[in-house]
Amino acid sequence: MAAAVLDRFSPQALRVLALFVVLVLIVLFFGSQIDNYYSARLFNRVSTSVAIMAILATGQALVVLTRNIDLSVGSIVGFTAFAVGDVLSTYPGLHPLLAVALAVAIGAGFGAFNGVLVAYARIPAIIVTLGTLALFRSLLVEYSDAKSIITANLPEWILQLPRANIVSFGDLDIRITFFAAVIVVITVHLALTWLRTGRKFYAVGSNPEAAVMAGINSTRIVFLAFVLCGAFAGLAGFFFLARFGNITVVAGLGFELKSVAAVVVGGINIFGGSGTVLGALLGAILVDLIDTSLVRWPLVSEFWREAVLGFLILGAVAIDAVLMRRLLALRHARMKDRRDKSVAQDGATA
Amino acid sequence: MSKIITSAIAALMAAGLAAPAAAESVMAEKGQSVDLTLLPKFLGILVFDQANEGAQEAHAELENPGELLFVGPTPENSVAGQIEIMTTSTTQGKDVVMLSNNAGDQIVPSATAAQAAGTKVVTWDSPIPSGDGESVFVAQVDFGSIGVVMADMAHSLLGGSGQMAVLSATPDAANQNAWIAAMEDALKGSKYADIELVDIVYGDDQSEVSYNRALALVDQYPDLGVIMAPTTVGIQAAAKAMQDEGLCDQVAVSGLGLPSEMVSYTLNGCAPEFALWDFRDLGYLTYYTSYLLATGAIKGEIGETFDAGRMGEYTIEKDPTRDSGLRVLMGPFTVYNKDNVEAAAN
Amino acid sequence: MSDAILELLGISKFFAMTAALSDVSIALRPGEIHGIVGENGAGKSTLIKIMTGVHQPTSGQIRIDDVPVQLKGTRDAQERGIAAIYQEPMVFPDLDVAENIFISHNKLGEVVRWREMYAEADRLIARLGVSLEVDRAASGLTLAGQQTVEIARALALDVKVLIMDEPTASLSAHEVDQLLRIARALKAEGVAVVYISHRLEEVVEIADRVTVLRDGQHVSTRDIGDVTTERMIAEMVGRDAGEFFAREKSHATDKVALSIEGLTVDGAFADVTFDVHAGEVVCLAGLVGARRTDVALSIFGVVPAESGTIAINGKAVAITNPKQAMELGIAYVSEDRRKLGLAMPMSIVANTTLATLEQFLSRSGLVNRRRERDVAESFRRRLNIRTPNVNTSVGTLSGGNQQKVMLSKWLNAEPSIMIFDEPTRGIDVGAKAEVHEIIHELAASGVAVLVISSDLPEVLSLADRIIVMREGRQMGIYDGAEATQENVMQLATGQELTAEPA
Repeated sequence: MAAAVLDRFSPQALRVLALFVVLVLIVLFFGSQIDNYYSARLFNRVSTSVAIMAILATGQALVVLTRNIDLSVGSIVGFTAFAVGDVLSTYPGLHPLLAVALAVAIGAGFGAFNGVLVAYARIPAIIVTLGTLALFRSLLVEYSDAKSIITANLPEWILQLPRANIVSFGDLDIRITFFAAVIVVITVHLALTWLRTGRKFYAVGSNPEAAVMAGINSTRIVFLAFVLCGAFAGLAGFFFLARFGNITVVAGLGFELKSVAAVVVGGINIFGGSGTVLGALLGAILVDLIDTSLVRWPLVSEFWREAVLGFLILGAVAIDAVLMRRLLALRHARMKDRRDKSVAQDGATA
Repeated sequence: MSKIITSAIAALMAAGLAAPAAAESVMAEKGQSVDLTLLPKFLGILVFDQANEGAQEAHAELENPGELLFVGPTPENSVAGQIEIMTTSTTQGKDVVMLSNNAGDQIVPSATAAQAAGTKVVTWDSPIPSGDGESVFVAQVDFGSIGVVMADMAHSLLGGSGQMAVLSATPDAANQNAWIAAMEDALKGSKYADIELVDIVYGDDQSEVSYNRALALVDQYPDLGVIMAPTTVGIQAAAKAMQDEGLCDQVAVSGLGLPSEMVSYTLNGCAPEFALWDFRDLGYLTYYTSYLLATGAIKGEIGETFDAGRMGEYTIEKDPTRDSGLRVLMGPFTVYNKDNVEAAAN
Repeated sequence: MSDAILELLGISKFFAMTAALSDVSIALRPGEIHGIVGENGAGKSTLIKIMTGVHQPTSGQIRIDDVPVQLKGTRDAQERGIAAIYQEPMVFPDLDVAENIFISHNKLGEVVRWREMYAEADRLIARLGVSLEVDRAASGLTLAGQQTVEIARALALDVKVLIMDEPTASLSAHEVDQLLRIARALKAEGVAVVYISHRLEEVVEIADRVTVLRDGQHVSTRDIGDVTTERMIAEMVGRDAGEFFAREKSHATDKVALSIEGLTVDGAFADVTFDVHAGEVVCLAGLVGARRTDVALSIFGVVPAESGTIAINGKAVAITNPKQAMELGIAYVSEDRRKLGLAMPMSIVANTTLATLEQFLSRSGLVNRRRERDVAESFRRRLNIRTPNVNTSVGTLSGGNQQKVMLSKWLNAEPSIMIFDEPTRGIDVGAKAEVHEIIHELAASGVAVLVISSDLPEVLSLADRIIVMREGRQMGIYDGAEATQENVMQLATGQELTAEPA
């Protein structure tokens, strides 16, 4: 029963539910517009491409939860993809796990730089990361020396990685990269739900002043959020390298806005304190699905695509907001009902 | 041993060059001081760096005591950055700005201002579409011939009939647009009657966008046989996408690419054939043209003939691919396949 | 004192050259409620900050269980068993009640055991003798509920000293009772409760001992048996304060200045009907949530009424925005000085002339700065605003002085109808008396005054007539002289019986 669902789920779970409904609506819409839309291919396309954005959105979510923003993640992805590609071109024998560790470490290093400026020097995050967005990109341009990473020089295992499957159901592939992204999202979700440090991310974003009064080291939490966000951007950079192989200095350009879009569409409050990374995952899938479907929709010309994409994202957010409000109102009414009953009983006994 | 396949059109062009011009060939006088700025579309792309190497070679050869600066915008800021660098170079009193234009006609006001202030603007790789504010365009190859070569490659890859699509760079890249137009012209010939151009899409010269666009093309056109990408970034992204999705036996990737970047895809059959010219030579020739213009040895008028060091003699002509504007045509270019790509890559 | 749990010995605190505290000594015993009173600026805030480790004393010693300690910060103070709750509760709106309680409880380990946490939260809340759903988000709680959460948080940390800073300032009478009950429950558990409040009746009701501060100095600490409200006030202000809550004679005339009939805003209030005569002071009484502010905002045109009529000087008017209301001679002094009333970073001068700037335009259309300053200066003297000069930014003034600046802003518009919304909330006794004095003066000069106040003694001493509201409904009208705390309360809480529940 709908009523039972309303009772059982928290507002955050309702939000994920609402997003899911929007996702289904989008699929139905494009299904009616595009031939052969419902195919294993579509799933494979979206799942492999969302793998990178999901990891990035997870990191972004951590930062946004603490009432901050990281606009430098696109540049971190680009730099990491290039640097790890460069190292692997020079030392093709490097162990795959070491390559991943290197990517995460580089990303975490950039994240720490952001974190120090935001958490300790107390410069607003939007200013810091707008600066490092350009700074990290320029470092990449400098580091690249006008060269690019080409697949020919990369070891075979990393080129095979994007098409490696965990399992296949007929044509439907669960690729390693997608699987890894889902594992990352679930792990972070569990950590945010069950670890005290995880809850403090919410606390700091929810009311920074109260966090200080409650003896929470919010400086450390904000710093940690940026380091983790950088680390995830580094990991995304590794997957970027594996998927695209040819890395130029423009790698990851614009990813910062896509990750913010995924996070916001995914229902994480841009003013911090509420939302889940599961929502961010759904947000990433939603944005990617719209993007992937649009380029296959003959009705929309190349030049209008960006506009239609923005319009559809706004539409999705609006539908989601309306749905969410209806669900919350219903839930609220039911809870008030119950409370009134219990108050009436209290009154009777007093 | 490398065997270079030169297209018939390129051979024709060479013949055209060989015809003696009316004027006497101008020689460059060494050691004159000329300050130059080499302005690529943006930094971090290998071919532009190769062009710089060629320009540096000419700079040393001509013993120019002046300065040759290689400056470009960052990728995300290409259009505004080019305009800004153009303006800055003018204020600094540079003698020449050598521009690979990525800003379409938006560059015109700053280029015109530069000319008015005595800074020559020589374009290379990609011209100013209207020709305004530009002294001369050093064309890598004849744009018409690029169109024919691309049509020919598609013809051979499709075995004479089938569907092809174009994966270009940005929608306002003048050179790519001109080449695509030339190819569409060529496709009107009866030889290509069974080849259908189904779509033109843009990958913004970004690996990830190009990669996704290539996949979208394959999904959208199940019978697609060739993806033609006249951009070095697009062609390798498309080849990687086809390779990753195991589609190389259905869809062949072709276009303009660097041998060193394409070698693995050519050998495994994902991109059996592609073409390119030498960007070092292009940088070298552009430098010579600029130096001669700045020193007043040539005026930048139709029919002037000059000597460009190791590359020989060139003539300034009316650019037949644009309504107005002058060009110096370099040519020819090379088609690479599994027989010659390895040698060229090293 | 050897039985003290927390002892402050000769504490002084200097900020730059000014002394916020000089040589203050206080000892807190376990299981006592220790009231601390004083005018704003007496040093209470500084004292709290020193006890909670926010500030370090310039000189003097802090001893916990007879051991000298240094409190390095709020966290350090918490770990030593000292916590504070404030007028504005510090909760996390997005977290649920249980999490709010245990968020800083690091001893519980890194993994959150939700079920245990909810059970423990239930137990803690029960210990305070109240009921709250512990798995509800704190954003839905009332102010009182949020305070309860904060107190429970302190309790979870095994607090030995709990400082309550103006805890009842924003609570309704019913909620105040509940808070006092909680304070007694804590006392019964052996906690030393420091109770700081401007509401002296409350302090007298609950405290075991009372300390009076004045100008950063310790005046007295007495057992409650030796304390009366009058004596406290005298010590706080350093003068006899007998006149503070005396009723003045009415200045009401026959002329009806403001007449309201059947005023309704759906979802807020319905069918409100009353008159205010020129020279009369009418009070809107009721608990928090009675929707009195909504009535005022409706009259002032912020949220225009959906039905009902407003007449001014006998003429029906339609007021759809505040500008119209101001042109009709209505002024509204809001409860929330920050949100609705004052531009905090701007100077006293700028704030004073904000609503009446047209008057200060010279022929060239520019603001005449000198006249502006003269007017602000005259109000500074008239209202006794304590400030170095009128160019000081309002944000740096104390609450009472901010209130006076807001008053100047509206008085300058020379309104014929003046609405005050909680004019004395959170300001000290001296300033309060001054505000009352101004209201009387206004009435005497023929202004119709409507006052919204949750402070019953204030209502009773000010009002010529009292309109009682409850949850958006007008419950009744009393003549000021006849009303008592009890009968107003009865209407406000909707009780039929005369007996107040204990």
